[in-house]
Amino acid sequence: MSAAYLIREATEADLAQIMDLENDCFGNDAWDQDTMHFEVVAHHTYYIAAFDKAAVNETLIGYAGLSKIPGNEQADIQTIAVAESARGKGIGKALMQELLKEARRLQAEELFLEVRADNPAAQNLYLALGFEHIDTRKRYYQPDDVDAWVMRLQFARSTTGREPIVLGIETSCDETGIGIVRGNTLLANIISSSMEEHARFGGVVPEIAARAHLEALRPTLHQALAKANLSLKDIDAIAVTNGPGLGGALMVGVGAAKALSVALEKPIYAVNHLVGHVGVDILERGQLETPTVALLVSGGHTSLLLVRDLLDDVELLGETIDDAAGEAFDKIARVLGLKYPGGPEIDKAAVGGDPKAIRFPRGLTLPKDMEKHRYDFSFSGLKTAVARWVEKAEAAGEEINVADVAASFREAVADVLVTKAVNACLDHKVPRLLLGGGVVANARLRELAQQKCDEHGIELRIPALSLCTDNGAMIAALGAQLIMAGRAPSSLHFGADSTLPVTSVQTH
Amino acid sequence: MPNWTLCIDTSAGTTVAVLQGGEVRSEIHFPESMKHAERIGDAIAQCIANAQIAPGQITNVVVGRGPAPFTGLRIGIAAAVMFAEGAGAQLFGVSSLDAIAKAALDKQTDSKLPLLITADARRSENYWALYSGQTKNGAPVLIKGPGVAKPDALAEKFAGQKLAHTDIKINAVDLGKVFEAQLLDGTASHNVEAMYLREADAVAPKVLRDFGKKVSG
Repeated sequence: MSAAYLIREATEADLAQIMDLENDCFGNDAWDQDTMHFEVVAHHTYYIAAFDKAAVNETLIGYAGLSKIPGNEQADIQTIAVAESARGKGIGKALMQELLKEARRLQAEELFLEVRADNPAAQNLYLALGFEHIDTRKRYYQPDDVDAWVMRLQFARSTTGREPIVLGIETSCDETGIGIVRGNTLLANIISSSMEEHARFGGVVPEIAARAHLEALRPTLHQALAKANLSLKDIDAIAVTNGPGLGGALMVGVGAAKALSVALEKPIYAVNHLVGHVGVDILERGQLETPTVALLVSGGHTSLLLVRDLLDDVELLGETIDDAAGEAFDKIARVLGLKYPGGPEIDKAAVGGDPKAIRFPRGLTLPKDMEKHRYDFSFSGLKTAVARWVEKAEAAGEEINVADVAASFREAVADVLVTKAVNACLDHKVPRLLLGGGVVANARLRELAQQKCDEHGIELRIPALSLCTDNGAMIAALGAQLIMAGRAPSSLHFGADSTLPVTSVQTH
Repeated sequence: MPNWTLCIDTSAGTTVAVLQGGEVRSEIHFPESMKHAERIGDAIAQCIANAQIAPGQITNVVVGRGPAPFTGLRIGIAAAVMFAEGAGAQLFGVSSLDAIAKAALDKQTDSKLPLLITADARRSENYWALYSGQTKNGAPVLIKGPGVAKPDALAEKFAGQKLAHTDIKINAVDLGKVFEAQLLDGTASHNVEAMYLREADAVAPKVLRDFGKKVSG
């Protein structure tokens, strides 16, 4: 669902609407117009307002204010209100998050607020944002005679007001990745892969991957620090992938990251692997342009995401219902007697082949499938079709042209991936497509994506391959975004979640 | 200046202790053999807080190398490796079975029988190791193993021998005591490689089909 509201800084011109809402929401406890006027225009305050996008005239549906005196490390949430008719849509949370971001930008170290003791909905929102209940003021709200909870959010001290240096740890599949970023800037991205150890099995073996992670941790960390020319003392925060991925592999990274966080006494952020793939674009362009559709294709994932906001609004449009695209490449490589990993081998074998020689099926593209699975993928039928085709030709004693089979298979995969991704862009009127995941290394996929995006006026983003494959830099980058947005760190209790949904960008 | 030692073992449950020059300053144990990833961070942080020191004061990290079922074991070792990096501490590895043996041998007053230590290896198998007495500084002396075997195979292996047994469970404090003894013996080891004693479960696929001769390329 697209956000039905927009948030901007409030001005004097909004005062009348703000006062109407103030009186509606707070009744006999409402501020008078002079007080509100001073608050909105004062230099030490930051007032923002939310407006209903659907309304013809600008209709104010919420507002909130922050007070931060320069030189004072403490800031206060002055007020927040959301129109009754607009509640339950995340507007209050969005307003709060904007104020948190501003407070952090203004180098506040602590943020305080008061909330009525009889308002659990608001209390829960603040708790979820990382506020703690530190004190209770008896009978603070008069004449209702209601207590106030005093709540406090502590920002990571070392990271206020400047770009945080974040170390990211990624162990969700067969790459041990440790990356270091400073804000939006990449400092190091070291990847140690156990791919060769999986070669004789024709696919990633979870136990082998997990064993390799454990052995790779220390050397990968040392290389990353050397590359960034930093020591662990310089690190402001740790970020770690806690899902989705292979459970046993994820747990190595989670255990490692937590211990590092405790040893360094630095905050930890548990982040989503797939959202990391999207956020990595920040390291190349300094920002992520949203909204964007993201097509993430690897040996473990084939997912189509709609990203309206990297930290708050990531929607899974569709994903594979059976094999990941990368797995299909590996399996077909085996059928054709090619090596592992299959992607590059099939790319090589397809050179000079005719992609139209054999029309292999495009999974989930029939009208009846498109109703239910418009953005989902399926590669198991394609895989079987290729194997059957080869068997039949073999049984008939025909010569098999590997180049044609490889090119036709590759075309079928690239076609269905790109077609569905472009459909998603067109359906949602999103003029951007971002590719991520190891399968992006496939030349034909990149070529076809460029061609189709050009046809439809869609901007195509393909980060450098070292940032497309699984890596720690993207995890560090996502951690840095959370910090710069003023988000509270994760607790130390989180676990690995092999099926973590994309809607969970950070696990607390 | 007395050393502060952080001891971590996740070969069965999650057990963490802080020792100072051989004296126990704090310990935390979760006996269930699950949720290691969830617990390890809090267990370490709380143990250090309870010992009333800062993480940077830890000079040694000692970790149980198993043998143990894989997933949990790795979490403790990964945590120990990274904690040592972060705190600038020395890193040491100890057999988790040695720690159980140490606890049992310290209690073994009247018997000089060899001590057979076993631990659950899942899949109806046990890890085992055989010990006889301790060094002068108190490190258990391993005479056979460690290995992994079905219980009846193990019974057969030691048929006719009189052995002492124990049902003591692994405890990070005992791991630390083995380390202190090994330090005095000069046998403390920096090896923290996980002892799996079993190959990764993976079978190379059969070649799906061989049509090499007919392929033109």
